[in-house]
Amino acid sequence: MRNKNIIAAIVLIAFGVFYGFLTANLPDRSLPNTPSPAFFPWIITAVILVLSVWLLVRGMRQPKVESEPIDVAKLKLAAAAMVFFLLYLAVMPILGFVLATLPFFAAMMVLYGEKRPIWIGSGAIGVTAVLYIVFRHGFGVFLPQGLLRGIIT
Amino acid sequence: MNPDILSGLGQSTALLPLLSTCIGVLAGLIVGMIPGLTISTGIIVVLPVTFVLPPDISIALLLGLYVGGMTGGSFSAVLLNIPGTPSASATGIDGFPLSSRGEAGRALGVAITASFVGGLFSFVCLLLIAPLLAEIALEFRSEDMFSLVFFGLTIICSFAARSLVKGLLSGALGLALVTIGQDPVMGTQRFTFGEANLMAGVSFLTALIGLFAIPQIIDNLVNKDRVKFAQTKVRSVFPKLRDLIAIRIPVFIGSFTGAFLGILPGAGGPIAAFISYDYSRKASKEPEQFGKGSVEGVAAPESANNAVTGGALIPMMTLGIPGDPVTAILIGALIVHGLAPGPLLFLERGDFAYSMIFSFFWANIFNFIIAILGVRFLVKLVAAPRALLMPTVAVLCVVGSYALRNNFFDVYVMLFFGCLGLAMRWLDMPVVPMLLALVLGRQLEENLRVALVASQGDVSVFFTSPISLTFLCLSALSIVWSLKTAGKQNQTNPKEPKS
Repeated sequence: MRNKNIIAAIVLIAFGVFYGFLTANLPDRSLPNTPSPAFFPWIITAVILVLSVWLLVRGMRQPKVESEPIDVAKLKLAAAAMVFFLLYLAVMPILGFVLATLPFFAAMMVLYGEKRPIWIGSGAIGVTAVLYIVFRHGFGVFLPQGLLRGIIT
Repeated sequence: MNPDILSGLGQSTALLPLLSTCIGVLAGLIVGMIPGLTISTGIIVVLPVTFVLPPDISIALLLGLYVGGMTGGSFSAVLLNIPGTPSASATGIDGFPLSSRGEAGRALGVAITASFVGGLFSFVCLLLIAPLLAEIALEFRSEDMFSLVFFGLTIICSFAARSLVKGLLSGALGLALVTIGQDPVMGTQRFTFGEANLMAGVSFLTALIGLFAIPQIIDNLVNKDRVKFAQTKVRSVFPKLRDLIAIRIPVFIGSFTGAFLGILPGAGGPIAAFISYDYSRKASKEPEQFGKGSVEGVAAPESANNAVTGGALIPMMTLGIPGDPVTAILIGALIVHGLAPGPLLFLERGDFAYSMIFSFFWANIFNFIIAILGVRFLVKLVAAPRALLMPTVAVLCVVGSYALRNNFFDVYVMLFFGCLGLAMRWLDMPVVPMLLALVLGRQLEENLRVALVASQGDVSVFFTSPISLTFLCLSALSIVWSLKTAGKQNQTNPKEPKS
């Protein structure tokens, strides 16, 4: 808890300073005797900085305790899922919804512990097809078609 | 009779809204009973569907899900002692012992019946109180609205009792994110970095999908062995007459407590459930049976958490102030359809407002029917394959963010908020305050600045208006109460330092 509080406080102080810097550079447009567009952001800057310093001081005052060891296996699983997510979003505009979702869905099923290839294949194909048909044709959402443009409607 | 009432009743009883309510209830029951999925996640999953449906059908679906989810949460609490939703936490105290001695059907029957009565009671409160409150709220000026929204934001304190400063920081971060885009008074571009997609600001729903769903997907992944499923056979769930007589007082206590606490922003289902459980034990002739499998102990929290739903809809519909995360999502869903919740909703779209109230009524009716008839089949879904469910939720997050404006930028924004949600979870920072700030932030700034423009920069206007002063006093009380609660929790749990 102590380390987390200190890390959170430092990150938020840095964010508060950055936000304050951006606020200071906002255009100054306002009517006489009335608050400018920077008025509310200045209040938020002050609140973030005050609270972050409060959190930092509290964190520093807390006794040092043995932090729980990080479960590397779990961390790897989470990191893998986020990488799959990023790859999925990166390739979807090129490959289209269907071709991008199939491997993403299969990969996520494997991460969740599914080992049977038939289940993985049928799950990925079935869910992708159902979602595409429901949203594209049922609800008129223009999901990207990518490489399958002209092949699927 | 107000013609809007009849019109609203007619709209809500049309075939499609009724069907939508039914589907919503079924989805809610399923989502609520599966540990690891919350009502918020369920709503996020169906959100993309609601973007393309007419508003009355969309809201009927979401209300059905809200009501069904509250009841569904009790199924896994009774069968596995794992509450499907936080609101069902108190239900397991007596529900699981009943289930353990082979009376799962009896416990579920009582839970469903109590939920039904609690839900109906809160419907009556909603129908009677909401229009009156909306009429009063029409008189509010900018300074009053500012103080009201500020009061709504003090909910943050009650969601941050474990670490007040982190809760407040989460709220402040949310307010900072709300300032992205055009400022609400002068139209000046702020913090957009020249990105055209940010000119309209950060979409609340996109942020919400990322903040809630992505951490849950990852949480289910890294803790996938946490839930061990039990095979429990459920026989008859129809409550017996002696049980119905036994639960009449706890149900009354739960319904009243739930509806009242639902109206108060931030109190929510879990608090209402535990308070009514405690009151019912004190009022019971057999208090020693509580905790050992008392049907009264099942009925009180179940009626309370379903009564909260109608109660929470009152400030949401009349003042635009969400009582809990689910009503915050409902506000977002209404805004997508160009229907801003608040007093003007009753004035300008009275028919819609009443159709929403009556959809809530139908949701409770269907919830009872589907739950009591289908519980024996539904409980089998408690062990739904996570490997199929969670990847589907992941893909729906992407589709949901994309469908909002048919724009990939929103999907990246969703992922950004997903990473932010994960980081906040790791740092033990609550995300609900950020969510509330994202909902209320713009109104807060707009009313603050409009009030100051009107008063030529005189801040005393917030203290001279009686309505504004009342809300500011209530805000102070809310903060003090939260600080006291946090202090008590720290005394009982010294390892959890208040920060």
